[in-house]
Amino acid sequence: MKRLTYLILAFTVLMPHMAQAETRIFACEPEWAALANEIGGDKVAVTSATSGTEDPHHVRAKPSLLAAMRRADVVFCTGAGLEAGWLPVLMQQAADAQVQPGNPGNLMASSFVRLMNPPAKIDRAMGDVHPEGNPHIQTDPRNIVAVAKGFTERLAQIDVENAGYYQGRLGDFTQRFQGMITASESAAKSLKGAPVVVYHDEWAYLNRWLGLNEVATLEAKPGIPPTASHLQDVLATSRNAGVKMILLAPFDDDQAAKWLAGQIGAKIVRLPFTVGGRPGTETLQATFETTVKSLTQP
Amino acid sequence: MLQERLNHLEEKQQEAAITPPPVAPAPVAEAAPSGPQSNDNAFNPAISAVLNGHYAAFTGHNPTVVGFAAGDEGGRATEGLALDEAEIGLSSNVDDKFFANVIASLSEQNGETEVELEEAYIRSLGLPYGLGLKMGRFLTPVGYLNEHHAHTDDFADRPLPNRLFLNNSTKDDGVMASWILPTDIYSEIGVGGFRGGNFPGGSPDGSDIGSALAYSRIGGDIGDNQSWLLGASALVSKAGSRAGNDGSVLFHGDSDLYVASLRYNWAPTGNSQLQDISLQGEYFWRNENGTYDDTNIGTGPTPFDQNQSGWYAQGVYKFAPQWRIGARYSQASAGDTPAALIGTALDSGGHDPWNAALMGDWTNSEFSRVRLQYGYEKPANGQKDNQIILQYIMAIGAHPAHTF
Repeated sequence: MKRLTYLILAFTVLMPHMAQAETRIFACEPEWAALANEIGGDKVAVTSATSGTEDPHHVRAKPSLLAAMRRADVVFCTGAGLEAGWLPVLMQQAADAQVQPGNPGNLMASSFVRLMNPPAKIDRAMGDVHPEGNPHIQTDPRNIVAVAKGFTERLAQIDVENAGYYQGRLGDFTQRFQGMITASESAAKSLKGAPVVVYHDEWAYLNRWLGLNEVATLEAKPGIPPTASHLQDVLATSRNAGVKMILLAPFDDDQAAKWLAGQIGAKIVRLPFTVGGRPGTETLQATFETTVKSLTQP
Repeated sequence: MLQERLNHLEEKQQEAAITPPPVAPAPVAEAAPSGPQSNDNAFNPAISAVLNGHYAAFTGHNPTVVGFAAGDEGGRATEGLALDEAEIGLSSNVDDKFFANVIASLSEQNGETEVELEEAYIRSLGLPYGLGLKMGRFLTPVGYLNEHHAHTDDFADRPLPNRLFLNNSTKDDGVMASWILPTDIYSEIGVGGFRGGNFPGGSPDGSDIGSALAYSRIGGDIGDNQSWLLGASALVSKAGSRAGNDGSVLFHGDSDLYVASLRYNWAPTGNSQLQDISLQGEYFWRNENGTYDDTNIGTGPTPFDQNQSGWYAQGVYKFAPQWRIGARYSQASAGDTPAALIGTALDSGGHDPWNAALMGDWTNSEFSRVRLQYGYEKPANGQKDNQIILQYIMAIGAHPAHTF
């Protein structure tokens, strides 16, 4: 009898939770985790597979990710081959039906954005190229707005009950974000046309947004660390162009950048790249504000 | 007049409310890029090939490890310049419910090119509650390393117990069910039934299930930069007739293998691309109950009921993005030799064979790696073997994706 009482008690406590269970979102990168939280509010539970200091190309398909994937209702990733080294394995091993490609629970941010620079020729001799185009879309806030809209539509489709809630939050978010974009653009006016050197071709969208002129990459080829001979070329190019800034993501090796900076008297700018990439970048908005501030600081 | 104006104003406001704020210039706001062309090739599976080759030099002239009758793959690498297997893989989703993977290996053995079906399996994608089904031929998840393809290994050869107990790596034809528990920590259990045609089984009988497997593993993170995976598995096989030591030793009977494994990873800077430390170890315990026949000596089938064990531990340190070094020690223990088998291949003479290896490798990109390894092996009493292996591993085609 006592056992039965406990059972009933357990059910009455648990049932309401079960009825309005949160939608579980597995985000591959912190920017999508942050966006999912902005739109989903307290109706979603979000796991980020990577932190802001990790290179999303190179992530281990570690056990904790498998456990998170197993319980996910939605997989929210960049796509475009960015996660090719680890996401497919997780998807197969977790074998979670709702997040397989073709199901609403499979959401790739790159499908809402036109990708820049798809290579005309695809050859691994060119390094780890992405046939679909440059996948680092999150460095342009206007892309975030486009993805937010696509994500909200999908979330509303999966969790119909809370569709209105999500739409409302999207409206708020977009409005706030637009304000930030406008303010950032005017703050970064002076950057138009400024020549920069980057480590990996990971700033293409940011450069387009703010009008920065990328003249060289430190990496010899995508995914292949800098070589001495390549750096000599970069040095000549940077001198000619009058490069004043070298852009690095939090996870980029700074050896080559330090050398180049010493040679040409440029400054190394570590940009957040994504949410949590630098101190004080816990939200998407703060990430872009920090980015612009880092670029415009004398 | 005023009404008209108000109406007009209202319309404008509504418009503003409906139209989302101006987002971005054309290239960004444009909808998704044009989809892939619809033609038959668009559905081709992902194709990949892995090419391995090595140069090996050994000082030991008698490489046979005493106390065990190793399978045909369990010996040391081919001496001299050699081409290892070329693996060709095809994988794709079959439909929304199934995924398929075929890996064939091409190798030359005794002057003839052999095609071997390494793996050919179907995996379910659509089962609820974290359940999974795998069927066909695949590397069995007994221990940690066995399930992994050799080209992802951290050393040029497999540790001693894997060579002796699993014939380097064991695969079998069968079906396996798994369940990932809905817990925060990763936990999975699985069972499988197999034909039992390969080492440690052999020559299955009629409709029997020659070998059965059960495994469980748990894993998780410690903070942001460390992860671990702990596993336990049992592989119970019945060998109708299993040949070892180049066919000279025959085993008939039950071979039960239990393996415990641990893998631990630590990225000291939080970014495994720059620096990474991995530690890995496995402990093997085997009971064999049946008869052994050393045909070189002519013992005839001799009763055998023995426990044997082995273990290895290794550490690999990536100290720069392209460079790694590692050390490994492995050992096996054949246990006491039954009186009737003294003087045969199963007589270890009280010696526990061991191997110690050091390696350094250079990884140009995710697709290519070159490795130099030095090993020192004591396969038998008074036998020592210095081993040098220089190896390359290259992958072409579809981007490889690796399990933890």
